[in-house]
Amino acid sequence: MNDAEALVEIQEILQHLEQISFVAQRDAREALPALEPLGAQPTLRWLEAARDLFFHDREAGKVFMRASPAVVEKTGEVDFWVEQARGFSKWVNSWGALEGFMSQVGDVAAEWGREAEQRWYDIGLRWCDRHLEDAAHYFRASFRELGDERGIEGIEDLIAPAEKLFDERGLTLDAYLEGAVIARNIVGVAGIESWARRGADIMQAGRSRGEEYFKLESEESLRLLLDGMPGYRPRRHSRFLQLLTTAWFGHLVPLADGDWRPGRGRPMMDTDGHTLYLPAVLEGREEAIVAVLHTMGHLRFDSYFLDHIEALFGELGMEHPPVDADQRITWRPLYAHFEERMFRFQVLFDLCEDLRVDARLDTLIPGYLRRLVRLADAHPQPEGPAGVFYRYALAQYEALALGRGFDARLQPLLNESATVVDAFRVARGLFDEAEFPEIGIDARDDAYLPGHGHNTGRPVYPRRRWEDEVYVNDYDVHADNKAVAEKQKEEQPQTTQEMRQVDPDPDINVPQENTSGSGGRIGVGIPMPAQVVGRGAAVHELTEGYPYPEWDYREQRYIHEWARVQERRLEEMEPERAEMIRADHAGALKRLRRALEMQRPSRMAPLRRQLEGDELDMEAAVGFVAEKKAGLSPKPFIYRHRTRQHRDTAVLLLADMSTSIMASHAGGQGKLVDHLRAGLMMFAEAINDVGDPNAICGFASKNHDNVNYYVLKDFDETMSPDVRARIAAVSGRLASRMGAAIRHSIERFNGVSAHHRLLLLLTDGRPADYDDGGDTRYLHEDTRMAMKEAVDRGIHPFCVTLDPSGSEYLPAIFGPGHYTVIDQAADLPARLPEIYLRLRR
Amino acid sequence: MKNLINRLRGVEQDAVQKPVAGQEPFYVAQGNEIELFEAAYRKRLPVMLKGPTGCGKTRFVEYMAYRLTRPLVSVACHEDLTSSDLVGRYLLEGDETVWYDGPLTRAVKEGAICYLDEIVEARTDTTVVIHPLTDHRRVLPLEKKSQMIEAHEDFMLVISYNPGYQTVLKDLKPSTKQRFIALQFDYPSEAIERQIVAKESGGLDAEIVDKLVAAGRKARALKDHGLEEATSTRALTYAGTLIQAGVDPIEACRAAMIHPLTDDPELVEAIEEIVRAHFGTADE
Repeated sequence: MNDAEALVEIQEILQHLEQISFVAQRDAREALPALEPLGAQPTLRWLEAARDLFFHDREAGKVFMRASPAVVEKTGEVDFWVEQARGFSKWVNSWGALEGFMSQVGDVAAEWGREAEQRWYDIGLRWCDRHLEDAAHYFRASFRELGDERGIEGIEDLIAPAEKLFDERGLTLDAYLEGAVIARNIVGVAGIESWARRGADIMQAGRSRGEEYFKLESEESLRLLLDGMPGYRPRRHSRFLQLLTTAWFGHLVPLADGDWRPGRGRPMMDTDGHTLYLPAVLEGREEAIVAVLHTMGHLRFDSYFLDHIEALFGELGMEHPPVDADQRITWRPLYAHFEERMFRFQVLFDLCEDLRVDARLDTLIPGYLRRLVRLADAHPQPEGPAGVFYRYALAQYEALALGRGFDARLQPLLNESATVVDAFRVARGLFDEAEFPEIGIDARDDAYLPGHGHNTGRPVYPRRRWEDEVYVNDYDVHADNKAVAEKQKEEQPQTTQEMRQVDPDPDINVPQENTSGSGGRIGVGIPMPAQVVGRGAAVHELTEGYPYPEWDYREQRYIHEWARVQERRLEEMEPERAEMIRADHAGALKRLRRALEMQRPSRMAPLRRQLEGDELDMEAAVGFVAEKKAGLSPKPFIYRHRTRQHRDTAVLLLADMSTSIMASHAGGQGKLVDHLRAGLMMFAEAINDVGDPNAICGFASKNHDNVNYYVLKDFDETMSPDVRARIAAVSGRLASRMGAAIRHSIERFNGVSAHHRLLLLLTDGRPADYDDGGDTRYLHEDTRMAMKEAVDRGIHPFCVTLDPSGSEYLPAIFGPGHYTVIDQAADLPARLPEIYLRLRR
Repeated sequence: MKNLINRLRGVEQDAVQKPVAGQEPFYVAQGNEIELFEAAYRKRLPVMLKGPTGCGKTRFVEYMAYRLTRPLVSVACHEDLTSSDLVGRYLLEGDETVWYDGPLTRAVKEGAICYLDEIVEARTDTTVVIHPLTDHRRVLPLEKKSQMIEAHEDFMLVISYNPGYQTVLKDLKPSTKQRFIALQFDYPSEAIERQIVAKESGGLDAEIVDKLVAAGRKARALKDHGLEEATSTRALTYAGTLIQAGVDPIEACRAAMIHPLTDDPELVEAIEEIVRAHFGTADE
């Protein structure tokens, strides 16, 4: 075909189109001028493709035609993308994907080349096969963002987990993509898959929760991501850090989570005057230690002493603003005085105050300055204006550590009586010096030395002098953390509308990032709640409950605080049923009691005729003497010895209370739960008779953060009608996340003083949960690890299962010989006490 | 010469020994405890020494025995210590049953100072036998022999008692406690502690002693935060001795101050951190 024929053909097609759709014809004609310079034949091929697409799907044809001129402009050719666009005609309703494709194909080809473009297209087409919506989502998503400076490889790496998870779990791309791009920045390509897999599991358990996970809106996904981040987790070492404050400062200061999140600048530690707020992650242990010591230094050396803060305002001839609803204060309004150069002043002021505090701190903590200098030296030095401040600060610290070369202008800070007011004056002096460049909000954070941060990160509770502060020295860390968490929960909703309006100085309520954010509104800011709303990334909404790690075999590591156990009492009581159960098993109970008599732990019993002992066994002694006189040579077994016969065992029976126990037993012996109740009852009675310390607990879970742990009978509780009624009220609910329940049981053994500790797990099936993604091995492995932890803690685990197929998986979890299968559920009431007695022997 | 031979072979000695002149135990007074003790001795009042482990209670008694030139009978009490371990018992010897005096009876008869260390550790029946000794009667009943022994006029009873030390379950009965003059001990002041560590470690460099004592005092703040027992003066002298023997200071502190005290990894980390701040990395 020559060009002339092609031109004729084009006209024919246009006419044909016109007969069918005016719009199609018009769109085609509008696009043609862009294509014609490429020649008649390519134009014809384009038009044919447009026509075919239009006939296949009107929308597809239209988006193709409308987007074409732009693509031509970018690529300067037609064929490859036209051919690719034809590929979409394989599906009905693929116009959404085609639209996305057309909008980006030109740029992709222009920036990454033809070969990469083909790969980009192939990925999308594979998604068309799976799900057209997903494909549309893919093609619409910015390829640059997806590639993340790695081009097409970046996209392929990003999409590969999604393809895998689509096949395995039906995870859709449109849920995955947005979060995955952010997640990749945090955990890297390697971490994406495990992050997404977990999300897919959650998605299967509940759609909205899964979506939140992938949008990184839920705490669980953020926490998981942070888990994979490099660096030091102050939170995980909060006890250690707290011990350090206790050792160095003699006071225990509560630690809580700060509000730093990934992507929010540099993580810094700050304080509100009585709590230290830890960011979720810091560069290293050294930085964390320095940060804690330094922040404590501010408290120790009275940076937030009320009189001094008032004096600061006096320096500028201002009244200090009234305290906020929580009696807190900030010196942030001071910065307003410096107008658009406020950040420069803030950095200088913080620098001076930090120097003052650190110099004092060095007298308290040997080697502190040297340590700080070492840390700052190793830290990459920032560029630009921040670098000037950073290097200046570092030089001053080095000079301090060496004892020479210290900037004379800063000398007043080293005075022992220097206060934050002196720091302010010195900073004002430096502010007038030209050597310090202007610095903006963007560079500000980089100007700080490692372990240092804004001294007015948040409003503070004004303090008395350190010496006058009253500390309660004797509380335990966990209780305190909990109290802090509770307090924060209470504090959240306190900032009301009215309060904001009557507040004469709105600035007091401006949280840090808001004042600093916009250049135009310096020193004023939007009236915002003083509270940090939206807690730090390391914090979780469900702060109740006991956190436990969980083992992920796929990654061979523990997921920190992944499972949360909620301990509660069983509300239901069934006293009548309890009596019925006892009546039904009265005979067995009687037999059991008789057997138990033999096993009762003996009290102090004199052992007679011993080789040594506390006192003479007169009878034996007389016999001995008599025999001796008679010329025999008897052995001197003539003492009585009092001793306790040790059979010192504590037992915790942990019953699986998942839904499956409500089912009828496979062997056709009624409902499992009836046997279970009877078994627990007999067990409780038997152990009570034996007198061993014992607890009976049950568990049921729904998702990783909601593992319910029911205490039917605690170690220090005596057998009572209430306990019996609770046991009789046991019923099945939810699923069984065994690992978390076992870990919690291990903790419950704390405070029980017994030589042998036995954890008896009573179950009717495999561990499973809603969000395990159908991967049975996952919770198996976790349970196995929990068992190992129990053994490490000196607790003997033993599993009693009602699952006839238990032998298939229990050896792997508990090890051979550490489980027993009861395939006749009706035997449970008799067998359970028997098993226990056999074990404790 | 005799001492040298004794040192070489390990000597069987009678439990009741008069202090040897010239072998004065090293002790630095923290307060007026010496005067108080002497006054109590003059009036033959029993004394109870309270204070944390390793703060110098035992050394104080040794020192006072030396000062008062009285023999000292020390009994370290333990869980299985019964009254017959203190008072005495019948043993068979050849054909006969023979009564053997226990350490307490010996002390009562010979006018020694009897020091029952960590009395709460012993079984409760032991505390009962000391009751008649601690009031005006000053007699020791020997139930098994149906005898009463009147105490030698120089006899004195001293017990030590460490409040808070695993005493949740075992505590002295108030009726026992109030029979004693109580001397409260605590870890000595920093200056005294330095003196002690320097002396006991055999002349350790003053600078190291300062660091060691400073670190120990900081670590002491962690008591009750997981640390059942604070870093004692004894632990510090041990660490000092190790350093003096050529062990690296951080290693020495780890061996003497940290690991004997706790198995808790975070606590270990925290104390190490303190030790390092004092000793470590000075010239890095």
